[in-house]
Amino acid sequence: MKTITILSGKGGVGKSSITASLSIVLAKKYKIVVVDCDVDAPNLGLLFGIKKFKNIEKVSTNYKAFTNKKINKCKNIDLVNICAFHAISLKGKVPVINKLLCEGCGACKLLCPEGIELKKVKNAEVGETKTRYGFYIVSGQLKIGESGSGNVVEVVKERARKIAKKINADFIVVDSSAGIGCPVIASIRDSDYVVAITEPTPSALSDLKRVLKVVEHFNIPYGIVINKFDINKRFAKKIENFARKNEITIIGKLPYDKSFVEALVNLEPVVVYNKKFEKLFLDILNNVNYYLK
Amino acid sequence: MRIAITGGKGGTGKSTIATALSYKLSKTKKVLLLDLDVDCPNDDLILGIKTEKVKDVETMIPKFDYKKCVKCGLCSKVCREHAIVFVKGNFPFVIQEQCIGCKACKIVCSRNAITEAKQKIGEIFIGKKGNITLIGGKMKPGIEESSLVVNAVKKFSEQYKNYDYVIVDTAAGTHCPVISALIGCNIVFAVTEPTPLGHHDLELILKLAKKLKIKSYVILNRSDIANKKIIENLARRYKSKIIAEIPYSKEIEKNYSAGKPIEHTSINQIIEVIR
Repeated sequence: MKTITILSGKGGVGKSSITASLSIVLAKKYKIVVVDCDVDAPNLGLLFGIKKFKNIEKVSTNYKAFTNKKINKCKNIDLVNICAFHAISLKGKVPVINKLLCEGCGACKLLCPEGIELKKVKNAEVGETKTRYGFYIVSGQLKIGESGSGNVVEVVKERARKIAKKINADFIVVDSSAGIGCPVIASIRDSDYVVAITEPTPSALSDLKRVLKVVEHFNIPYGIVINKFDINKRFAKKIENFARKNEITIIGKLPYDKSFVEALVNLEPVVVYNKKFEKLFLDILNNVNYYLK
Repeated sequence: MRIAITGGKGGTGKSTIATALSYKLSKTKKVLLLDLDVDCPNDDLILGIKTEKVKDVETMIPKFDYKKCVKCGLCSKVCREHAIVFVKGNFPFVIQEQCIGCKACKIVCSRNAITEAKQKIGEIFIGKKGNITLIGGKMKPGIEESSLVVNAVKKFSEQYKNYDYVIVDTAAGTHCPVISALIGCNIVFAVTEPTPLGHHDLELILKLAKKLKIKSYVILNRSDIANKKIIENLARRYKSKIIAEIPYSKEIEKNYSAGKPIEHTSINQIIEVIR
């Protein structure tokens, strides 16, 4: 079983759209499980026409600190400055904790064990559904205002691994979130291959370079897909030059086409909406498979 | 006045709007633009501002004095990030990237065997163009806690006073770095597009703004690529509304791709709301 992760650094360059179409093409030959690891703003389900997930489980991956009545006993302790996350302030002379900023590290409780309690919080929901295309998708949603997206990604991936084992899947396809922080790092971990999506804009290339540094940190092989390569062919060339110089393979180039947006609005992967794109995605997969062998 | 530009979904045009708004405002006012997308900051590229590093962002990382350590393992036990590895009979050690600098290990060590060393997790940069001062952060790749860099940039920027407007550009998503960026803002502009994905993520951001008790408005980008009705209805449900629409245009896309701030009448509509 191999895990392929799709990421990009910059948001909105087509991660989920491309993940959806790659999955459709991959599922024609292999058994797969798809995972939406963008737990902040999960969208992959929508692209398969799924609005509600089944088997929803509430998960608690994180702690938060709560003050109790005995907090008065800690008036003389400088809790405000011990909190590395600026979550503690004083109301009068009594410390109060801003739940939105608390990371649950427990440093304050160590100084004031009587007046502070650490409690597990239900910070996310994880669910799964069989798509109409025959394969399973697992998705998570971080509760608004909660933290711990990296941990939630781990839970979502674990659920996917369980299903993958049960059905003896050949591939797990992971759709990561934007950025390079904790949820992205958790998405990359244990991957066998990374597909990095970019588009011919200065921002997208700059962000691509940053996220690739993280991928290299984990020593995972990767290739680049240039999306909408034809909106600025000159800049697309620049990306290709960057790739050549650094011995990175461009595993695919996708054109700008209205079908992509139309497919999105129709809640269908673009290869389902318009069959003519199948070949392009097949080519990408052949390149990925070449490196996985 | 402190104005946040956010959106939930990536690539809806947050930075495009933040830079265009800053650019337009700067023609008559002094603007401080904070690029708090520390994972992937891009405002300097769009505005063509040359930036320079002014400061490293550092967090505390434990340094062990093995002469004092009695191998009790408490430091490892209290570390909720599992950043301290302890095997019975051996000295503990720290996995740098995983440490978030909470100091719990130092507090718990009764032998004073842990002192504070520094670990670099990012940089703060600054640049100027006309009436715009751009301050932003760049997290070191491999580090997980973006919000620590966001908070450091916010704190650093406090010394820059006498600006008419502070524009805050956030990362995509809704988690810690976005929450940290939004805290302290007077008004939130959520940039979205009329697709099911834009709609889905906009709802998350409107919920977050409500939770933070910040007034929110919606800016609809690529407003003509699909039916905007779903966005209008959603905005209404959250007592928000669409205050500006930017149609899809090759011209805008081209300018963006060339690294230029866009100019469009919709930016004036945003400015009217601010005033």
